[in-house]
Amino acid sequence: MTSTRISMGGRIDRSRVINFTFDGKRFAGHPGDTLASALLANGVSLFGRSFKYHRPRGVLSAGVDEPNALVTIVRDAVREPNLPATTVEIYDGLIAESQNRYPSLQFDVGAVNQLASRFLGAGFYYKTFMGPKIWPLKGTRFWMFCEHFIRRAAGLGTAGLEPDRSRYERMNAFCDVLVVGSGPAGLSAAKAAADQGANVIMADIDARFGGSANWSEETIDGAPASEWASAIVQQLATMPNVRLLSRTSVWGYYDSNTLAALERVSDHKTRPSFGEPRHRHWTIRAGHVVLATGAFERPMVFTGNDLPGVMLASAGQRYANEFGVLIGRRVALFTNNDTAYGAALALKRAGATIAAIIDVRKTVSDTARSAAAECYAELITGYAVQTTEGSKQLDGVRIQQFDGQRTTERERLVEADCLLVSGGWSPAIHLASQAGAHPIWNEDLQAFLPPPPTDKWVGAGAFNGTFDTATAIDEGLSAGRTASGNTKPRKTKSSVVEGYKCQPNPAPVFEIKGKGKAFVDFQHDVTADDVRLAHTEGFTSVEHLKRYTTLGMATDQGKTSNVPGMAIMAETIGKPIPEVGSTRFRPPFAPVSVGALAAERFGDLKPERLTPMHDWHIDHGATMYGAGLWYRPMIYGLKGETVEQAYVREARAVRSGVGIVDVSTLGKIAVQGPDAAEFLDRVYTNMFSTLPVNKARYGMMLREDGFVMDDGTTWRLGETEFLMTTTTANAGKVMQHLEYFLDVVWPDLKVHVTSVTDQWAGAAVAGPRSRAVLEACVSGTAVDNAALPFMGIVHGEIAGVKVMICRLSFSGELAYEVYCGANSGTHVWEALIEAGKPHGITPYGLEALGTLRIEKGHVTGAEIDGRTTAHDLHLDWLLSKKKPFIGSAMMNREGLQAEDRLQLVGIIPLDNLPINGGAHIVEELHESHPSDSIGHVTAMCYSPALGKYIALALVKAGKSRRGSRAFVSDPLRKRFGPVEIVSHHFFDPEGSRLHG
Amino acid sequence: MVDTVSPLEPVLNRGRFANTAAQTGVVISEPAPGSIVQLAAWPDTDQKVREAIASVLKLNLDNSPGAGAVSGHRAAFNIAPRRYLLAEEDEGLAERLLSIVPADVGSVTDLSHGRTAIRIDGEKSEWILAKFFAVDFSLARFPVGQGVSTSHHDIFTQIQRRSETTFDLYVFRSFARSFWRSLCHASEETGYEIR
Repeated sequence: MTSTRISMGGRIDRSRVINFTFDGKRFAGHPGDTLASALLANGVSLFGRSFKYHRPRGVLSAGVDEPNALVTIVRDAVREPNLPATTVEIYDGLIAESQNRYPSLQFDVGAVNQLASRFLGAGFYYKTFMGPKIWPLKGTRFWMFCEHFIRRAAGLGTAGLEPDRSRYERMNAFCDVLVVGSGPAGLSAAKAAADQGANVIMADIDARFGGSANWSEETIDGAPASEWASAIVQQLATMPNVRLLSRTSVWGYYDSNTLAALERVSDHKTRPSFGEPRHRHWTIRAGHVVLATGAFERPMVFTGNDLPGVMLASAGQRYANEFGVLIGRRVALFTNNDTAYGAALALKRAGATIAAIIDVRKTVSDTARSAAAECYAELITGYAVQTTEGSKQLDGVRIQQFDGQRTTERERLVEADCLLVSGGWSPAIHLASQAGAHPIWNEDLQAFLPPPPTDKWVGAGAFNGTFDTATAIDEGLSAGRTASGNTKPRKTKSSVVEGYKCQPNPAPVFEIKGKGKAFVDFQHDVTADDVRLAHTEGFTSVEHLKRYTTLGMATDQGKTSNVPGMAIMAETIGKPIPEVGSTRFRPPFAPVSVGALAAERFGDLKPERLTPMHDWHIDHGATMYGAGLWYRPMIYGLKGETVEQAYVREARAVRSGVGIVDVSTLGKIAVQGPDAAEFLDRVYTNMFSTLPVNKARYGMMLREDGFVMDDGTTWRLGETEFLMTTTTANAGKVMQHLEYFLDVVWPDLKVHVTSVTDQWAGAAVAGPRSRAVLEACVSGTAVDNAALPFMGIVHGEIAGVKVMICRLSFSGELAYEVYCGANSGTHVWEALIEAGKPHGITPYGLEALGTLRIEKGHVTGAEIDGRTTAHDLHLDWLLSKKKPFIGSAMMNREGLQAEDRLQLVGIIPLDNLPINGGAHIVEELHESHPSDSIGHVTAMCYSPALGKYIALALVKAGKSRRGSRAFVSDPLRKRFGPVEIVSHHFFDPEGSRLHG
Repeated sequence: MVDTVSPLEPVLNRGRFANTAAQTGVVISEPAPGSIVQLAAWPDTDQKVREAIASVLKLNLDNSPGAGAVSGHRAAFNIAPRRYLLAEEDEGLAERLLSIVPADVGSVTDLSHGRTAIRIDGEKSEWILAKFFAVDFSLARFPVGQGVSTSHHDIFTQIQRRSETTFDLYVFRSFARSFWRSLCHASEETGYEIR
């Protein structure tokens, strides 16, 4: 192939030059060029090596259907492999590399595979790597041995290791009408719908709207097709109800007319502008969809049909007319239909010599015959290309007489540097197929067509199998009007289209049988013989054929190969094609970047949830800890302190003086309404309707199956108003639980629940000196034992801020929770710190909080793990016998009463060494062969109050084991040792300290 | 005067940012209403609750989903069946509502500290919001006053359109800084001003 740039014509901007490299060599092109067109313009014909046999490959098509010319683009050291050169727009500085070759594209040692190609057919891996039946590489061992080498050899391009710093975004869009494709049919549909006032989105995979009008030689209403298209695009661009998305592949059609699209926003730029994403992923909810996605030309299957220089006829025409590239000087055509003759005319006008037109049909239409004559081409009917000549590029083709089934001896050579082929057309029905439409075989077109729409989509143009431009425009106009809700007959005249007109119906010829490799799926090196081999080996279903041969499973998803593959299989089976069936197209229509699917979540994979005092904690040296989405202080470490030293110091300060901890993260739910108390009686296991105003009560709620769901205190703020607190982790779950019962089970209850977690900043002041701290800063209320007894609530002020104080304790000490409006949280916190200074107030974090609760034996999420009951946690004293509640019907099931259930216990390591959460408790210690677990550790700490390490655990029949010995077994962390099982109440079991 | 601290304080850096080569696509600000209140009705008291809103805020709402109204510094919109989010420049709205809405008519929940209002204004505000929410923000479908409850990833957001180009977004206070950063990041493409 001796391709070159034509001196005039094309939709490229010849006034500007773009420099880029391919395999390190510098080339120049123009804006409007794809990498394929620019390289072809520079005389490059060899683009890559094939997947399995490393055969030289050129360019087959000019669009997204390209199976051969796959390249790797390198940008900022990031490698993106397997991009069709036909879809890559060039930009200054573009670095492209060919693939699957070593050491070079011209000389590829992998080509040695061709010598062994007869052994590399379909199913090669399955059959070869079964493994021998004898040692040492028996069975799968042989596969595991070979896998390393196979994986190195497999695949085409190589992804890099550098992280992709590109920006990806997601967008949501809504429209009345989405038009997919912007050829004459799509443009007409968009214009018609927009004229009706509909909100329209028109998306096209290419950079330039217009589709086939960009390379057609037709005139529409007296203007060249491209100018006609440009004029409509300009009109659409000025309409406020129209959004135009170029470089956008609509790749998925989902339920409720939701479509997924990928916009390549800045791939064509040397540098994206600030903040501009590389790709934008669109989720489009469309009232109606117009599918004007055109059709793909099919290649013919014959020996050597993959040689560089063999190209689809429409691609040759497109390169000439859209990109100003002549793909060969002496061009032959091989066809089974009349459309290729139009390409011959285009190539002739562009300056090529049309050496011959080889048509498998014995007789052709007058239109085709005239076209052949017009381009001075020898018309050779009743012949077929038997094989190609040339090593890395085409020198000519050998043709033989063809009777519709096979070739005869009469052979001749046609010299040509380019062979354009056309095996008919396959409408691009992928999106309709994804939407559930089952394709219908059309005998005339030898192609699958979409069925009548069953959903809110309508087709137009070549998608429908309509290859006449005037009719396609009519269909587009009708589709646009229908999609926008106008069902009245159209009154406007049809467009007048002039140019080469022909019937697209092909002869039913897909393959010319011969010796040598004839490729069906170019990208996966699947040959016609592979298809037959699959049948021979019993794969008679099209789905099995596909998987066994990998036909149509490459990145091009078989756009050029599916129908020929099915045709060959049908012939092999001896059934008509529609009886063989077709596979259903699945998303994506074209490859989608993973980055675009993930899009971005700025900063992290999850948003940060910050308490009102977050910045204070940071400023005061807190080490923050992620707790769900929240960030909470773990410790306020002093210089040189370990975590353990810090939390021991903090916990000791609470026990001996006073500490303060941020409890703003506790879930807080306002439960309001005349039936609020009744509702809480049903939700909690214990009674809340008897709770006086300004008092709080500890409560526990069960799931419907009787297991413990959550616990916390609920405060009665008024006759009809409660403030429920939940554990931090379960706030959302409890909220959903409450809403479900109110909405679904008890809709008659007049109760509202609202998350007020963020309304309140909360600080727990704990320790023997806590009351003194409050007395120093609270005004408007007394906080002594009489005014504020255990579980009492008072309202007052701290530093001018209204506060609500409840006396309750998680630490086991005299303690108060001080709540105020969140925006005043830091103000109140600082006031409490200031008031506490004379008492040595110490801020403490989660580690100390955990230590204090372990010492007290209080449960948290580690113990309320969804598998424990109130009995297991020794909380059965909370189970009211006076009322039913959620879970009460199920909580006493036999299995939940079993003696050997895991029960909460305390654990003391007798070697006084730390043990980890998750460590097993066993009855006998065998380090090399751990014995059966009787439970596991849920939490552990060093207890400053007890002066030793302690832990909580869930142990089988734990209560009855108190006072007995067992062992901790933690093989993963190699921690073994004796422990004593004790009560979970390690410290102040009588609760004397919290009562002050 | 008591110090109140906005969760946005460390990130509310006034000025123009990001793609300044382009025109400033959006202006992002914190309107900081003195009161943000949820008012919720019972099945048979919705009309009374909307009358209470009209009485206190002088804003008339119909009973369609998302219905809302804005006037000056006052705003109200429907956020769920029989639930309304109200905002006003002055503090004390919850107390005023409590005085005229007894428990058998509805519930009043003060969220003035619990929600943070973020305003996005400008020619590109619909474009930016489309990056976050699967909501049709076109003026025809989402007119001035209209509101919606939705979410972006884990961040629950209630949105009201204040003008053709202005939207107020109410997010949980604890998420506000994270959401603000996301909003600024998404606006880099169009250029943005923090005011």
